[in-house]
Amino acid sequence: MSDPRVLSVLIPAVGGQGGGVLLDWVVDAALLDGYPAHGTSIPGVAQRTGSTTYYIELCDARDAEPPVFSLYPVPGALDVLLAAEFLEVGRMIELGFPSPARTTIVASTHRLYSIHEKIVTGRGIYPSEDLQRAARAFSRALYAFDALALAREHGTEANAVLLGALAAAGALPIRADAFREAIRRKGVQVGANLRGFDAGLAAAQRLTSASAAPAPLTVAAGRPAAATDTDAARLTAGFPAELRPVLGQAIERLTEYQNGAYVERYLARLRPFVALDDPTLLGLLARSLAVWMTYEDAIRVAQLKTRWSRFERIRREQGVTRGEIVVTDYLKPDLDEIWGILPRRLVAPFARWAERRWPRGRPTLGQHVRTTTVTGYLRVWLLTLLRPLRPISYRAHEEHARMERWLAAVARCAAWDRPLAREVARAAQLVKGYGDVRRRMTGHFDRLLGVVMRVAELEAANGGGFEAARTLAARYRTLVLQGPEGEAQAAVLADQTLAR
Amino acid sequence: MGELSFAEDVKQLAYGDGAVLRGEGILAITKALLQSGVSYVGGYPGAPVSYLIDVLADANEPVLKPLGIYFEQSGSEAAAAALLGASINYPMRGAVTWKSVVGTNVASDALSHVASAGVIGGALIVIGEDYGEGASILQERTHSTALKSSVPLLDPRNSLESFARFAEEGFGLSEACNEPVFFSIRIRACHMRGTLRCKDNVRPRISMLSPLTAPSFSLERINLPPFTYQMEARKFETRLPAARRYIVEHRLNEHFPGDEAHVGIVMQGGLWNTTLRGLHVLGVADTRGRTPVPLLVLNAIHPLVPEELIAFMRGKRRLLVVEEGMPNYIERELGALAHDAKLDIEIHGKDVFSPHGEYVPQLVIGGLRRFLVEAGLASQSAAAIDARHHALNAHREAVGAVLPQPVAKRPPSFCTGCPERPVFSAMKILREREPEIGDTHVSADIGCSTFSTQAPFNVGNSVLGYGMGLASSSAVAPLFGRRVVSVMGDGGFWHNGLTNGVANAMGNKQDSVLVILDNFYAAATGQHHVPSTGTNARREPVAMTILDALRGLGVPWIRTVNSYRIAEVMKTLREALTTRVPGLKVIIARNECMLERQRREKPRARKALAAGEEVVQPRFGVDPDVCTGDHSCMRLNGCPSLTLRDNPDPLRDDPVAHVDDTCVGCGVCGEVAHAAVLCPSFYEVKVVENPSRWTRVLAGARRAVIRRLAAVPV
Repeated sequence: MSDPRVLSVLIPAVGGQGGGVLLDWVVDAALLDGYPAHGTSIPGVAQRTGSTTYYIELCDARDAEPPVFSLYPVPGALDVLLAAEFLEVGRMIELGFPSPARTTIVASTHRLYSIHEKIVTGRGIYPSEDLQRAARAFSRALYAFDALALAREHGTEANAVLLGALAAAGALPIRADAFREAIRRKGVQVGANLRGFDAGLAAAQRLTSASAAPAPLTVAAGRPAAATDTDAARLTAGFPAELRPVLGQAIERLTEYQNGAYVERYLARLRPFVALDDPTLLGLLARSLAVWMTYEDAIRVAQLKTRWSRFERIRREQGVTRGEIVVTDYLKPDLDEIWGILPRRLVAPFARWAERRWPRGRPTLGQHVRTTTVTGYLRVWLLTLLRPLRPISYRAHEEHARMERWLAAVARCAAWDRPLAREVARAAQLVKGYGDVRRRMTGHFDRLLGVVMRVAELEAANGGGFEAARTLAARYRTLVLQGPEGEAQAAVLADQTLAR
Repeated sequence: MGELSFAEDVKQLAYGDGAVLRGEGILAITKALLQSGVSYVGGYPGAPVSYLIDVLADANEPVLKPLGIYFEQSGSEAAAAALLGASINYPMRGAVTWKSVVGTNVASDALSHVASAGVIGGALIVIGEDYGEGASILQERTHSTALKSSVPLLDPRNSLESFARFAEEGFGLSEACNEPVFFSIRIRACHMRGTLRCKDNVRPRISMLSPLTAPSFSLERINLPPFTYQMEARKFETRLPAARRYIVEHRLNEHFPGDEAHVGIVMQGGLWNTTLRGLHVLGVADTRGRTPVPLLVLNAIHPLVPEELIAFMRGKRRLLVVEEGMPNYIERELGALAHDAKLDIEIHGKDVFSPHGEYVPQLVIGGLRRFLVEAGLASQSAAAIDARHHALNAHREAVGAVLPQPVAKRPPSFCTGCPERPVFSAMKILREREPEIGDTHVSADIGCSTFSTQAPFNVGNSVLGYGMGLASSSAVAPLFGRRVVSVMGDGGFWHNGLTNGVANAMGNKQDSVLVILDNFYAAATGQHHVPSTGTNARREPVAMTILDALRGLGVPWIRTVNSYRIAEVMKTLREALTTRVPGLKVIIARNECMLERQRREKPRARKALAAGEEVVQPRFGVDPDVCTGDHSCMRLNGCPSLTLRDNPDPLRDDPVAHVDDTCVGCGVCGEVAHAAVLCPSFYEVKVVENPSRWTRVLAGARRAVIRRLAAVPV
């Protein structure tokens, strides 16, 4: 008697994704078609919202004496990797389970970010290009698409869609109708899951394995430029053509934020850097300066919160068609943010006193505002009327002074060393957050600028080679963007570099 | 209750002779208990056998009660072990279950007593061996307990048929040797799906329908001298020999002879599947497990039968022992026996595998290869074995090239909407904003709350066992310069915390703060009943509360807070940490486990929606243009629904916060942003589906005004 093959299916998932139901469907479908099958999973608290796996084996001979089933997948001897999340594909590859010779990978490209990707102050997301490259390299056939998005279109979960894709991939001998029957027998949301199954089946059939390109993980959503082409052309005359799209976005943003004069001020600040003929540096400055000049004071927050398009966006995101929405905003400006929007002459003495009085955390004014009611909306909207006062506000003075220091530093560095100037330009990425967070982050920015410039001056005096300053600027920024632990290391790094 | 409903599955428990049951490993075990005529069943939930409690609870009304079988979810593993006391005096069979090794540790006092006194009715302990991948506890094996208490230990092959057979044999073995018997089942085997050919259930002779009529007394069964000496002697003179006889007579261990007579493999039954798969991938066995290498499968790993082992070793030159965990009792026993019997045999085991860790295929295959290549087989060349091994692993060398940085870890954590998580948010915010009181020692506990030690909170300096949070602060509290905090879940409180924690602290005048996370269930195991749930596992009402218990012990300072209100939790914590009131201060942070609540509420909302009723569903959101992408909220919150998305602003790079569509609207993200003064990005949106006419008119009027205001050029 010939020895039947044992086919293996590993389902990596994130706890709570419905991997157990997916396993049941596959096992039941195999049994319905007469293939001996078994499945295992890991119970208990160890899987709550964490990485977990489910595992299935089936014998490819119908109604045969069952083989010795293994409870564990064997690395390198896997037939199907059926992944409900894309980072988990990477984890399985790291553990050696899929192999290019044998494994068909059916995966959803959507991401559920791990806590370690989320708590980074900057960008901590695992590069999706790496995952895609790895999935392609470690599979004999790859079916990868955003199963979650497809599931949502059909009012179901990703697992039903993936089951359809598994049926289409043809890596198992189970008929599509057996999968459908298994969904019916399981009795969980049968209609929606059958729709999801058929959608997944069709999606995977459209992807031949060679062209199975994962959908882009996100859709870049740029707002259409409001300023007319002629306006933009007039304003941006003298700037390199490739910078125009960025400038267009910046101009629109600054106009909405303040007014035309503010745009002029922005462009005037940028213009001296055009002559350096360094597109990277100019691009960095154009983007960072536009973001910084539209810093989020209470007026800006009020403006963003009371836009009509915001309520439309919320309705759209919540999928509300005929229903109503009630929006409550959680606002808690602190003292700095409140007088930040008042004229500087009026509040400067108080601000200095408050800094001494509350060195750590200012008093706050917490409120829950229902912005979909008229009174609630008015409470926030009235703040936007203060916009004309912004240029003489306390906050404006502080922010613009800091911007000027930054631009002067960049200009000075550019005269010494272009890579150093770019690093100093990138430091503006640190200026973000509200309240305490922003005070902490600007503190880091000030420190970075101060220390780097001092090191650069010393290096300039020693005849150039700005290696230390460059490294310090890049390293300091990277550390701070890693989160609080990195911040502490950054401070140590600054001290050490200075000491040297 | 219970994370999973087995209502459909349990119908199969009534199946009669010849019917085929389809389901998980634990269902097959339950069926075998019924086929063995048990009079009582019980246990304490804990992965991987939590679902055994669920199956029993679901089966209580339709199956157990009609047979007169008593079922309880015991107060702890100790109580479950004590349940077996019924079989000391009366000829009735009973089974209990718990997770091992921690549950066995808790049970060990009662267990030692049962094992000393001995049983006359079969007593089976189904232990879920929580060892290896997916385990949520410290890594120890139960083998040592079996040895020191002389409790036979079954570790059967993994298949539903095998589980049912050995559960039934377990009762026979127990009655033959008068000892309770451990039936060990591994993590993955509990949920292993397969089929079982059933037999008729057996109605117990002694049951709630035909109860005992007279007590049985014998001084010999009381654990006092001189009878304790007699009990000890019996273990070794009569009971274990009787067990060995039963093992041989009923062929509990399986010997598969083979042509390669110069070698042999001895394995624990539970490792049979992995070992046979390993032999198959190396080309030494077919998929059905036929192999020329002789095998001895020990489904009973204690007591070992020397004659059986010596007979297997005789004539062999090399032996491989596949035995998980340390100490390697089986390997050492084989070595001693071979020495005594003067057998010329090389014994390998831990040297080719690993002294520690779960025996996963990767490890087993590596060890098998080493052993087989060195031993030399007639049926398969060493080169062929090596080639197969290489083919399995060659691709792994290329991993580094495509994944240059390690894949981000994804530890388990609190669920979306979890009422425990905000308490740790509050503790972390207090630690950061008011370190002079908040940056103190925190004794953590077992349960979902242990996740507080993980990112992003890293709250909790030690974990000492279930319900031991407060007890583990006993020496830290008086020796620490600030008031310290202990954490305990409601499950831990009732399991052990009430006596060893609260009573101990009260008796010793401990000055510290205890936070009890009361979410109405033992949530970590899958929402099992605790005494303060309101009902027990049999769905009978129970009126115990944590507050009453604390008052009964005379705790002077007790506050109850809504765990979702972070500012309130912080304020209460601050008060507890600074008050002049001496002694124990207890904060009960209450709210229902969100998994259980959603399980109830979701279908209700779906139904109301379908019926056209007005349904209000809260969700949270982040304004992407207000969020500056500093992710401070993530570091204080940790909700799975609070995630990232690419910045829609083309001028910015860093991803912004985003609340995805799994949000249940608990409000914690807004509370965190408020309490830690983070940012104004969060909003709550209540979606009103099927709005009533009044709701629509009012909303329409408001919209009209707001739309006009929004259009005013400012």
